[in-house]
Amino acid sequence: MASAIGNVWKSTVTEEFKFRDEEFEQLGIKLKRDIDSIFGRSLAIREVDTGSDNSPEIELVNLTTPYYDVERFGITFVASPRHADVLIVTGPVTWNMATALRKTYDATPSQKLVIALGDDACDGGLFKGSYAVLGGVDKAIPVDVKIPGNPPAPKEILKGLLALMKKIRERDS
Amino acid sequence: MNSLKTELKYLFGSMKFEEKNAGEIHIEAGEDDFLRIIPALAEKKCILIDLFAVENFDSTKNIFLLYVFEKRGCSEVLILQRKVSMKTSSIATTFPSACWYEREITDGFGIEFTGAFDTRRLFLHEIYPQDFHPLRKSLVNKPMKMQESIPQTEEYKFKEMRGEGVYQIPVGPVHAGIIEPGHFRFSVIGETIFNLEVRMFWKHRGIEKLAENKKPQEVIALAEAISGDETIANSLAYCVAVEKICSVKIPPRALYLRTLFAEMERIYALLGDLAGMIIDVAYPAGASPLFILREEMLRWNERVSGSRFFKNALQIGGVKADVGNETLEELIQYLRAFSIRLKQAADQAVRFTSVFDRLEMAGVVKKELVDSLNLSGPLARASGAAADVRIDHPYGLYFKIAPHNFVLEQGDVLARFRVKVATIINSINIIQKIIREMPQGEITAAYTLKNGLALSLVESARGQNVHFVYIQKGAISRYKVRTASFCNWQAIEHAVLGNIIPDFPLINKSMNLSYAGTDM
Repeated sequence: MASAIGNVWKSTVTEEFKFRDEEFEQLGIKLKRDIDSIFGRSLAIREVDTGSDNSPEIELVNLTTPYYDVERFGITFVASPRHADVLIVTGPVTWNMATALRKTYDATPSQKLVIALGDDACDGGLFKGSYAVLGGVDKAIPVDVKIPGNPPAPKEILKGLLALMKKIRERDS
Repeated sequence: MNSLKTELKYLFGSMKFEEKNAGEIHIEAGEDDFLRIIPALAEKKCILIDLFAVENFDSTKNIFLLYVFEKRGCSEVLILQRKVSMKTSSIATTFPSACWYEREITDGFGIEFTGAFDTRRLFLHEIYPQDFHPLRKSLVNKPMKMQESIPQTEEYKFKEMRGEGVYQIPVGPVHAGIIEPGHFRFSVIGETIFNLEVRMFWKHRGIEKLAENKKPQEVIALAEAISGDETIANSLAYCVAVEKICSVKIPPRALYLRTLFAEMERIYALLGDLAGMIIDVAYPAGASPLFILREEMLRWNERVSGSRFFKNALQIGGVKADVGNETLEELIQYLRAFSIRLKQAADQAVRFTSVFDRLEMAGVVKKELVDSLNLSGPLARASGAAADVRIDHPYGLYFKIAPHNFVLEQGDVLARFRVKVATIINSINIIQKIIREMPQGEITAAYTLKNGLALSLVESARGQNVHFVYIQKGAISRYKVRTASFCNWQAIEHAVLGNIIPDFPLINKSMNLSYAGTDM
């Protein structure tokens, strides 16, 4: 008990890191405003990998780590397509994953927004012409926004989400 | 180090053998010799590290199977060449790790293996037509139309477990987290896992076929795409194989930079594993310092190579761009506090009994499995095997700067956590040495393209990656990659037995295998 009270007065033991990336913060604040008004304060994203090289997944996980922590801006990654506003699809769509992707898309509530993330997801990239892939994500399901990159950095992903917000606004106005 | 040649010489008798590329012993074995040698190799405790088919191998259009073996304590590898028809005998009962390779060859080339205990399809799922064999030379690579509906007889048959109270839990290919696709079929009694079958290859993109007929320089981008967090490991292995064929000697500075990149990649990749394990026991506050370190490393990657994942950093004959000496000096300054921060973060993370308790004794990989399944990397080193390609089959700079082998016996999640921490700290020491000794000078060597074949082994963050490159008429004729994950995936089926379902994500994360690197 005594140590618990002592902790309140003790100086902090954690190190301080200089995290702040102004550009990222500005993008985040802008995005938060959009999410507040369009989605009622939270945007639920479901990620589906249909053949990426796993670096897009690393960058998406990074968005939830201390340097970026996008939950501050109202963005959450959800465990089921049934809870998702947006699907983010990475990788060219392989034939082995085609059915799984379509089922995931069917399970997503409308309006079924889809982002293709990474060069391969945008148009098949390196894997264009392979027997094993359909090509970009839009060969399997309708795509709203494409975020190119090999893989796109966290900032680029945020810019892509902003582009999606803009698209929704234009469509609804 | 012992010599594989002298150890096994008595086996070869009058057979023709040839040493290539310093350390590859190639033997063309007739069918009788082959059948005699295989059990003898098993008896001598040789490990099957790769098995694949090559078409147009000799001047005729024959298909050859290449069996690659290593023996602990010997730096050479043995490559048995076996000429086959469309039907041949399986070695999976002698070398269990041959099972996946043989299924892979059946899918790719249509060769049937008699006496195999598992003949289901591997990388071609039901959606592909039955008589489709993409790696045959006669098949031209082009976009395909697949069958609309799959007859029930062609559906994949999982092993069926029966008994009172046994039920199945199918998981995937689309998982709950931000993770790659794979299917796990659990047979469970209560909460305890009774059997697990993994089904992979959902991400099969046809990398090996895509490489065919390309100019060697063009294939680097494909090698990088095998697995994003093994970008350097795979592009390095590929470049080294081509350089062996073309007898290129790369300049010292390029060699140092390549090794620097490889070790930096190892650090950030393993940091992700450590953080993931702690996240999976629901202790995000403990994982955060590890994630912070990883993000800082990703930023360093970008500073030294222009890409957070070292994309487009290497080329045949050297590296793409030089790194300024001031940047290297800054990196060494930055790394000074890194080991202490890492040790603190790792100690803090497992300090609590509630975390420690989840990690200890979970997902034990027995030592007996290491050789029979060819497990490698931190996974093998946490199960009592001193396996590290950098030491066993040294390449590049590792002849001079060898890593320290840190081995634990327990084989559980906690041991893997500790081995990974030790591996990172070792990489930091290697990097400091590299930067201090970094020579000045050229970063690429000119080369003339030659025809030929070579094998190259590297230690990625996950373990032993093997690349085989065969150049004919100045273009790639066969490119075969076997990453550590391909073998290590088979360990998880054994490691989870007797554990409870909620521990599966933790066990999976402690191995952190690449799906993309397996599926190709």
